[in-house]
Amino acid sequence: MRRTLYLTLILVLAVCFGATAQKAKSVILVYLDGGPAQTDTFDPKPNMGRDYHGSYKGVCKTNVEGIEIGEKLPLLAQMADKYSLIRSLTHGSHAHETGHYAMITGDTSGGAVVYPSFGAVISYMKRDTYKGVLPCYISVTSANSRFNEGGFLGNTYKSFDTGGKPEAAQYEVEGIVNQFVSRERMEQRMAMLGEFERQPMNKQEIDSLRDINMEFIWGNTREVFNLHNEPDSVRQRYGKSRLGQSCLVARRLVEAGVPFVNVRMTGWDTHKKHFQKMNTMLPQLDKALSALIADLDERGLLESTIVLCGGEFGRTPKILWEAPWNGGRAHFGTVFSYLVAGGGFHGGKVVGKSDKTGEKVAERPVRPCDLIGTVYMLLGIDPYGTLPHASEGNLPILPSLLDTTKEGGLLYEITDLKQPSYEK
Amino acid sequence: MRLRTILIFTVGLSLLTAQATASERCSDEVFLRRAYLTVTGALPSPQACEKFLDNESANKRERLIERLIESELGMKYMLMHWGDILRIKSEFPSNLWPNGVQAYNRWIYEQLLNNVPYDEMVRGLLLSEGSNFREPAANFYRGFQKRTPQNFYANINLLFLGNRDCKDNGHLCFSQINFKSTKEWKEEIIYLDYHKSAPWQKIILADGTRLTPIYGEDWREPYVKWLTSRENRRFAEVMVNRMWYWVFGRGIVHEPDDWRKDNLPSDPQLLAELTDYFIAHNFDLRALMKKILLTKQFNSKMAPDGDFVAQRLPAEVIVDAIGSITGIWTTYSSRVPEPFTFYPPRTRSTQLGDATVSSTELELFGKVSRDVSLESQRNNTLTSRQLLYLMNSSALERRIRKSPNLQRIYQNNPTIEAISNAITLRVLSRRATQKEIAMYKEYAEKSGLPLMEVAIDIVWMQINSNEFLYNH
Repeated sequence: MRRTLYLTLILVLAVCFGATAQKAKSVILVYLDGGPAQTDTFDPKPNMGRDYHGSYKGVCKTNVEGIEIGEKLPLLAQMADKYSLIRSLTHGSHAHETGHYAMITGDTSGGAVVYPSFGAVISYMKRDTYKGVLPCYISVTSANSRFNEGGFLGNTYKSFDTGGKPEAAQYEVEGIVNQFVSRERMEQRMAMLGEFERQPMNKQEIDSLRDINMEFIWGNTREVFNLHNEPDSVRQRYGKSRLGQSCLVARRLVEAGVPFVNVRMTGWDTHKKHFQKMNTMLPQLDKALSALIADLDERGLLESTIVLCGGEFGRTPKILWEAPWNGGRAHFGTVFSYLVAGGGFHGGKVVGKSDKTGEKVAERPVRPCDLIGTVYMLLGIDPYGTLPHASEGNLPILPSLLDTTKEGGLLYEITDLKQPSYEK
Repeated sequence: MRLRTILIFTVGLSLLTAQATASERCSDEVFLRRAYLTVTGALPSPQACEKFLDNESANKRERLIERLIESELGMKYMLMHWGDILRIKSEFPSNLWPNGVQAYNRWIYEQLLNNVPYDEMVRGLLLSEGSNFREPAANFYRGFQKRTPQNFYANINLLFLGNRDCKDNGHLCFSQINFKSTKEWKEEIIYLDYHKSAPWQKIILADGTRLTPIYGEDWREPYVKWLTSRENRRFAEVMVNRMWYWVFGRGIVHEPDDWRKDNLPSDPQLLAELTDYFIAHNFDLRALMKKILLTKQFNSKMAPDGDFVAQRLPAEVIVDAIGSITGIWTTYSSRVPEPFTFYPPRTRSTQLGDATVSSTELELFGKVSRDVSLESQRNNTLTSRQLLYLMNSSALERRIRKSPNLQRIYQNNPTIEAISNAITLRVLSRRATQKEIAMYKEYAEKSGLPLMEVAIDIVWMQINSNEFLYNH
């Protein structure tokens, strides 16, 4: 019975979505690993007293009437018309693993099946249409160790981790840029290998793959990762931090047509010394993210590029002054914020509200599957579609979207997407 | 070929016991590498190579096989195969969690260490109950993704009968299983509900066997008794075939977990003989392994000159081989899920025991994610991205350049002959040929590189060669 219902839904949707023209081609996920404090970034609570705002008493008024963000984000404040804020994300998990899993897969169903990350899903959906030489799903510089997995789709759709340090003098991209080996040396080595190898094991096949790789290593792709191709002023604009230069790499990758780029910044799990850490990390974030959005916009790429920024959850609005935390914030998945921009997301809007203290959702809860489902729709992927599982048959792409017991809904209010009639 | 086969049949020799003729028999150096990689998943040390190659005794292959099968390395490699199909991993959404993973691995390892007969080991798994932390075998029931009698039964059919599509109602034998959580994080008790009234339906298994569960007893028992009995030949056949698959990368019935009626064995006689042997030897897994390694097929030259089909090395084996060649090993830790686990330095990836503990290299070469109990989840095809890593990874290049093993080789005797011989022993488990040494000399002269740089290039080249990448 339920299956028939799904099938009908899929049919109806196939007709609906077929007609919608999608704008988004790429996604950049700026992932703040560890869980950033929403109250110090996109949902400040300046009037709640020191136990809540801590060192950050002030706020930044943005260039959009009525929207205020954290005092350490002045550059982002000047461009609030370019992005929207979701202030009512919720999944209720306060543990890293469950939080990551929810935000990266959109699955909060509690089911036993391990879902793929949404980067892997996008990679899978584009398997026939994406023809680029670069991998479809790239992480700068590494994916979160486990939840950017291919899940039940398998490793084929996992992210390609660049490794290396984009902020260093030379950005060594695993397998592509290797400072020890010149082209001449590589060719010498390959010639020796050719002479050595006489065994028949897959020889022809291996040789043709090696030829492809020589082209890959020494051809144009190498230059995509070469940040020396950027004027110094651009590099400065993003900030010379790991995050800043990673965002610049992301822009270059998107320019080269890569559909999904995951930029991951660690260090946001600030149980202790929270404000000291925020004092260095927030300016880096402010600079990098504002430069990324502005740069994409100036190049006409923001229209086709979705930018997302947030972590696996937020942090407790109330500060833990007591030992051993001595002014830290703990994990908090009840209500937290995400920034969304580009690719069909409107700018200058706020979705949802946390309550006065920031400890509960006050209005319009947004589930992880609502955010990811909207991203899918903007990319022309049906959020009510299915994915093939090796032993379970076809499974819903976002099982939690079908769960009507939890309040939520796709983000129609900040996109031009039309709500299908059956959903209402 | 056909003529020979007919000949063999008319003379009345079985294919299994027929010794490979001298022209088909692989060389000692090929056999040594093949045996090490197949049984232990590790390369032989240069010392072990020289010792074996210089050994003149007639039964040295048999002695080697016995030693490897009983070695810790060998048993831990078998443990990896078991872990793959039993889905041992601490995953989220969670089933086992690190404590359970450790307990479960230890239990299986003890079975292998004591060479517990296969039927007894399966009984231990299937009749388990209790806390997943204290009664390790009980993790068998936590390891599956859905906790329904139907799913337990489907997986038991898949694992032990190679049946992907069970249509009978044997799952009723598993309908007493229940889970009770404790206050301990992720500890859970697997228990049987003895107050459940016996099913009214008759339980009729696929072969027509009728089982009658009795109120107040463990209903799994009659099923497990049927499953593991000597009369249930399929139970033994599936294990024999699985072991064949672990050795050759291809089952006599292939896929090894797909025994539907129209999927016929490529060599029924071989399967029958091995199965008879396995049952006659009381389900002795080590004896079965030894028997398979002494077959003509395993001792034969690589195809097309012989019967042995070269297989790309599994992910873990490649990664560990690079560790043993360079002397620089990957270190592993698991930070998610908590509690954190830090593995001792020089831990082999074949011995991690937890599919969620991984590295970029392991993922690249297709480490099994242990999401399903199918053997086919291991993907050993060679991809361009894997070759890209071998050709041009800075991480790999650094390991070769900093390799203490290579530095020792260089310092011992800095001549091209000595270096190329020592490298070839380490990487390819054989001595360098005169022709190869001449080639290396020419390379050194032509390139004008210092000797150490030439040594680095030789290591690079051998690691990139298909002779290294394949078990041949």
